[in-house]
Amino acid sequence: MTHSAEDRRVLLASQPPYLHPPYVSSKKRAPARPLVALPSALASFKGPVFGQDSLQPGDCDLTKQHSGEPLGERIIVIGKVTDDDGHPVRGALIEIWQANAAGRYKHKNDSHAAPLDPNFSGCGRVITDNEGRYSFVSIKPGAYPWRNHENAWRPAHIHFSLFGAGILSRLVTQMYFPNDPLLPFDPIYNSIPDESARQRLVSQFDWATTQPEHALGYRFDVILRGNRSTPMENTRP
Amino acid sequence: MKFIPTGSQTVGPFFSIGLDTLCQQPAMSPSPDAVLVQGTIFDGENAPIPDAVFEFWSDNEFVRAATNEDGNFFAVLKQPVNSLYFDVLIFMRGLMRPVLTRVYLGDERTFKEETSLQRVPPERRNTLCARAGETKNHFSWDVHMQGDRETVFFEF
Ligand SMILES: [Fe+2]
Repeated sequence: MTHSAEDRRVLLASQPPYLHPPYVSSKKRAPARPLVALPSALASFKGPVFGQDSLQPGDCDLTKQHSGEPLGERIIVIGKVTDDDGHPVRGALIEIWQANAAGRYKHKNDSHAAPLDPNFSGCGRVITDNEGRYSFVSIKPGAYPWRNHENAWRPAHIHFSLFGAGILSRLVTQMYFPNDPLLPFDPIYNSIPDESARQRLVSQFDWATTQPEHALGYRFDVILRGNRSTPMENTRP
Repeated sequence: MKFIPTGSQTVGPFFSIGLDTLCQQPAMSPSPDAVLVQGTIFDGENAPIPDAVFEFWSDNEFVRAATNEDGNFFAVLKQPVNSLYFDVLIFMRGLMRPVLTRVYLGDERTFKEETSLQRVPPERRNTLCARAGETKNHFSWDVHMQGDRETVFFEF
């Protein structure tokens, strides 16, 4: 598959650079030397295959993992995973993790002075169906502070990890919520150069998915690189 | 390519909540046909990185291993069938997208003919080679994100 120069430009602008100085911890961790081109296709096998049997009951409903209901605004997140040719990605494992409604992660290194919720762990897993669709139930995560810069707060987000057709399709990203006033201040969200690519990380409120007296619906579609895409040439480090 | 892929974002510091289920248990001991690869990953100031996660991809296996508080990782791997190396994705707080590297088990002289090493400057090839350890199936491989010993990372 060949890419035009314009394709490559758009592809590059859709992905963040390794070094993004406003995200302070990238400075000591981003590769400093130029990346080396791989002469041959990646040898990796097609990637791990995950069946429905690799999920536990409750993996797709983060509000049902404990004896009580978690605090917060209940949400249903749905979406479709396709490849860069528009084909659905079937059987894709999606791993999700998030803070609770107060903006606190159930993690030993999270020192934010907000309460843990005994009824919320913040971990979920789903597998896409034959049309590439997924859905899970959760609560809307809270914003949380971090020490990146003065008065730094992360906009509410859900972390997504996805497996597609192989190693090139592997993606870890974050889903944001519409109209979040913190987005313009967030160096992580703003690390993606292209504005329309950035906006695709923001889920959309979905009336059709919203359930009366139960939960608000959000839609978050994901496009994975096909496993035969050419590498991102001239990638800056 | 008709559609632009979704942008990558960092795994952040708390990825273990979501990624632990698929992590290999570090206490596993290698069976006779497997190897143990262990090492430490360092940042640009030579400090170990305690919040990184490695994914080893080969033609017959996928293994995920996260670093511990000292930046050490342990991965029990089956020898690849059709290649001499593992493709390795490394995710961490501070990286907006994973880096891709390769690890060869053994001395770089063994892999002189390997095409993926030919474009790597000779003086940096050793960063992709895991040293054989005390026991037969034991290799050690350190990763440096920056500095004189910066590991080779590939475009992908
Ligand atoms: Fe987060």
